[in-house]
Parts: sequence; structure tokens; C-alpha cells
Amino acid sequence: MTSLIRALSSTIGKKLLMGITGLALCGFLVVHLSGNLLLYVGAEQYDAYAHALHSQTILLPIAETGLFLLLILHIALGVITARENWAARDVRYEKKKSKVVETTSKGAPNVASKWMFLTGIIVLMFLLVHLGHFKLGVISPGDPDATEFANAARILSQGFTQLVYLAGTLVLGFHLLHGFQSAFQSLGINHPKYTKGIKIFGFIFAVTIALGFASFPVLGLMGYFSGNTGSPPAAESVEAPPAETPPG
Amino acid sequence: MSELNLTLKVWRQAAHDAEGEFKTYRLNGVSTEMSFLEMLDVLNEQLIAENEEPVAFDHDCREGICGMCSLMINGQAHGPDNETTTCQLHMRRFRDGDTIVIEPWRARAFPVVRDLVVDRSALDRVIAAGGYVSVNCGSAQDANALPVPKQDADKAMDAAACIGCGACVAACKNASAMLFVGAKVSQMALLPQGKPERTARVLNMVARMDAEGFGACTNTAECEAACPAAISLSNIARLNREYFKAVLTSPR
Ligand code: HEM
Ligand code: FES
Repeated sequence: MTSLIRALSSTIGKKLLMGITGLALCGFLVVHLSGNLLLYVGAEQYDAYAHALHSQTILLPIAETGLFLLLILHIALGVITARENWAARDVRYEKKKSKVVETTSKGAPNVASKWMFLTGIIVLMFLLVHLGHFKLGVISPGDPDATEFANAARILSQGFTQLVYLAGTLVLGFHLLHGFQSAFQSLGINHPKYTKGIKIFGFIFAVTIALGFASFPVLGLMGYFSGNTGSPPAAESVEAPPAETPPG
Repeated sequence: MSELNLTLKVWRQAAHDAEGEFKTYRLNGVSTEMSFLEMLDVLNEQLIAENEEPVAFDHDCREGICGMCSLMINGQAHGPDNETTTCQLHMRRFRDGDTIVIEPWRARAFPVVRDLVVDRSALDRVIAAGGYVSVNCGSAQDANALPVPKQDADKAMDAAACIGCGACVAACKNASAMLFVGAKVSQMALLPQGKPERTARVLNMVARMDAEGFGACTNTAECEAACPAAISLSNIARLNREYFKAVLTSPR
């Protein structure tokens, strides 16, 4: 057991854990994006999904705790490796130029890989804002009786919030542009038959995730939600009054 | 044959614990047929004639096989060419009037000894931790006694091309030695002679690598691009696999 912990805290072990947690978080992103694409389908369907999700009183807290632990581990290891990596080069170069860009045709110039820590921190800041909006309700809290769709519509219609969400989701995509395929290499998966495919899939994955999530603030920008942001949509207003007026 | 007039910005540092600084030198009439190290020889002749200390730099074979030469040239390990050591880089790669910035490898694990010379014995200590096979001495056994698949022999040979110059460490934003260690672990893991000590080898070499203060791998591929021996990134993936396998199956 101690040898296992020692191995996982080596440079290679830490990168293995970063790869696993990173890919697991990618899995969450797929589920999260799929659910939110219901914003396009309609208020009713979106609210039905949100309701079904929140009525999972046992599974949801377990999944959320797991997700939280994955994120904490990924961030902690990201900060630790970044610090160790900076320390490993104690004196900076006066001049530094990439040779990947200059001379090789083996891979596209991988700018994203040089900015993983910064893009990670930006994603983290965006996540805090996002959780503040939708999970904790501490940022710009709305009418507690509003439907999930109305709440999302209201938040995504705020001008500054749109910018924050646009930036956050695009930077997440940039993180994944390198991160997705990098995780496979960290896991030791590099093979002439598969690596090219993994890289192409990683590129498509990162772009899909970024554009998918970024489309929601863009919807807001284009006024998709106007008229839906104040009172609950028509479908709900029929059921709403009984809930608001206590019997007797 | 044409000649170049160059401005050289060279890192000067009298000793390991001395303060270093960049000094700028003018060097005229450099033949484009000189190698980069021959150009530095000419600079040193000029410095000696002016009663100045010559620039210390590492070199030995000057034919691209020993791994002694180094140098960060205009921000690139071994200069701008692919699969080329500094000793094999030629001045025809530069233009008249160019300014060339010349720095030593920079890594916490590679302390500067003097000027452009750094101490790369951290790599030797990684090798000493397991980068060998223990064999009984005596007459060599018959070459065909141990069958080795052609593909494995090729991959082992490609990994064994590493000359241990440290360009991978120098080029990596994390000063990571993963390409070096990947090559040295791979060349033995792929061959039957390396199998008996396979598990202990990778565990000990990685432990030594970490203890020497090299960084982790972010998979940016700068090492692969800088490597004069064209060591492939797939060796790092193999190192990772070897390490996981060893961790899970080692008796300790
Ligand atoms: C939904 C959120 C996130 C996802 C899906 C994600 C995904 C990934 C993936 C797949 C990798 C590649 C791992 C590897 O190379 O083995 C990675 C690397 C990295 N992540 Fe994240 N990440 C997320 C958030 C964050 C956050 C909040 C930070 C904050 C510090 C962060 C910091 C890093 C760093 C520093 C690396 C590079 C490590 C290295 O190679 O040296 N990530 N991420
Ligand atoms: S001096 Fe031997 S490789 Fe350059």
C-alpha cells in the first residue's frame, strides 16, 4: 500500500491521476452538455429533465460528491505539478523558441499544452461563478419558485454573465484541445494504430464541448430567452398558483 | 564561400557560484562552411588575442555521436535544425548581420559549471540506478541463441540512438528528463536481455529521476522536436506503461 502511494506521488503517478481525473471530468462534460442541450428543445422538456435529475435523492448526491472529489484531485495535482515544474527550471532562458513549430511535421504546434495551468485556473474561476449561479444560488439569486428553465434563461440573459460564460467555456475547450489526447499519453496509450485517431477525436471533442456550451450564452445574446426570463413560462403558470397559496 | 559578420550574445559565468551575465561580442569574417563549434573556436582565438578568458563550452567527437556538445542557440536546443547536434550545425544556417544568443542548458538538475558548460551527471546517476543489464562475463553467446522479433529489435535500436546530451531536458518547459529515461528504459525493456531486471530498473530509474529534481511530463513534444537522435514520444508512453506494470507487480 505504501509503495502504491509512493508510486502515485511520483511525477509519472501524478500525471496518471491527472489523466484519469481529467478524462472522468470529460465524461461529466458529455452528460452535462447533453442535458443542457434540452434548452433548445423547450422549457417543458428542460424542466422535466431538471426535475428528474433532482428527484434522484440518493444517486445525485453520490454522483456530485464523486465529481467534486475528481475536480479537487485534478486541481490539487495540477497546482502541485505546476509548482514542481517551475522549480525544475530555476533560471529562465533569455530566449526560448519552440522547435515543434519550427521544424517538425509530427504534430500541429501545440500552443494549448504550454498554457494548461493558466487555462485550468480560468476554468476554475468560471466553475466557481457557475456553481454560485446554479448550485448555491448565491450569485444573482432569482425568484425561488421560478422554474429551472426560467432561472437559466434569466441568468443567460445578463450581459456581463454572457461574456463570462462565453470566455469560460471557450477556455475550457482550449484546455481540452491539449488535455484530451495528452491524458492518453500519460496513461501510456500510444500506438501507431490508435494515436492519430485519439488526437483527431480529441480535437473534435474539445471543439464540440466548447461550441456546445458556448452556444448557451450566445442564445442569450441573440435574445432567445427574451420573454421567458421574468415569470414562469405558460405551461407552469397553471400549476403554480396552488403551490403559492397554502391551503386554508 | 561567403562570410558572415555576427553579433554573439554569450552567457559568461566564471564559476558555479559566481554571478553570470550576457556579454556581447562582434565576430567578423565567419565562413559559412564552419560548424557552430568552429565558429566558437574562432571567437575564442579572438578573445585570447585580446587577453580575455575564452568561452568554456562542452564538446568531444564533433561528429554528432558522443552527446557532449549542448547549447541553447537563439532559444532552441542544438539550434534551429531538426535531428542535429550543435557540432553538426553549420554557419550556413545563419545570415550576415545576425545576432545569435547562446545560453547553457537551463535546469535545476544541470548546474552551470562555467560559461556554457553544465554538469549533466544527474543523467549518469539515473543510468547508474538501473540503466544497465547484469550479465556474466565470458565469451559472448551465439547471436541467434536469443530470438528477437525484428520489430522489437528496431524499436530498441531507435531508443538506443539516444546520446544522452540532455537537449530534451533543456527544451522542455518543465526541464523533464522523461524522453531520456523513456529511451533508456525502452532499449532494455524491449529486449530479452533486459527482462530479468525490468521491474526494479524502471522503479529505481524513475525514483532517481524525481530525486534529481527533473520536472514532470506535460506531453508538449518539445523534447522530441529538439532531440538530435530523433527519439520518439512513444518511448515516454512505454516508460509510463513499464512504470505502472512494475508498480502493480513488484514484490515490494
Ligand atoms: C471540467 C474541468 C476540467 C477538465 C475536463 C480537465 C481535463 C484535463 C485533462 C484531460 C488533462 C490532461 C491530463 C494529462 O495530460 O494527463 C488536464 C491537464 C491539466 N489540467 Fe485540467 N481539466 C479541468 C479543469 C482543470 C482545473 C480547474 C485546473 C486548475 C488548476 C486544471 C489544471 C490542469 C493542469 C495544470 C493540467 C496539465 C498538467 C500537466 O500536464 O502538467 N484543470 N486537464
Ligand atoms: S560533440 Fe559529440 S555530439 Fe556534438
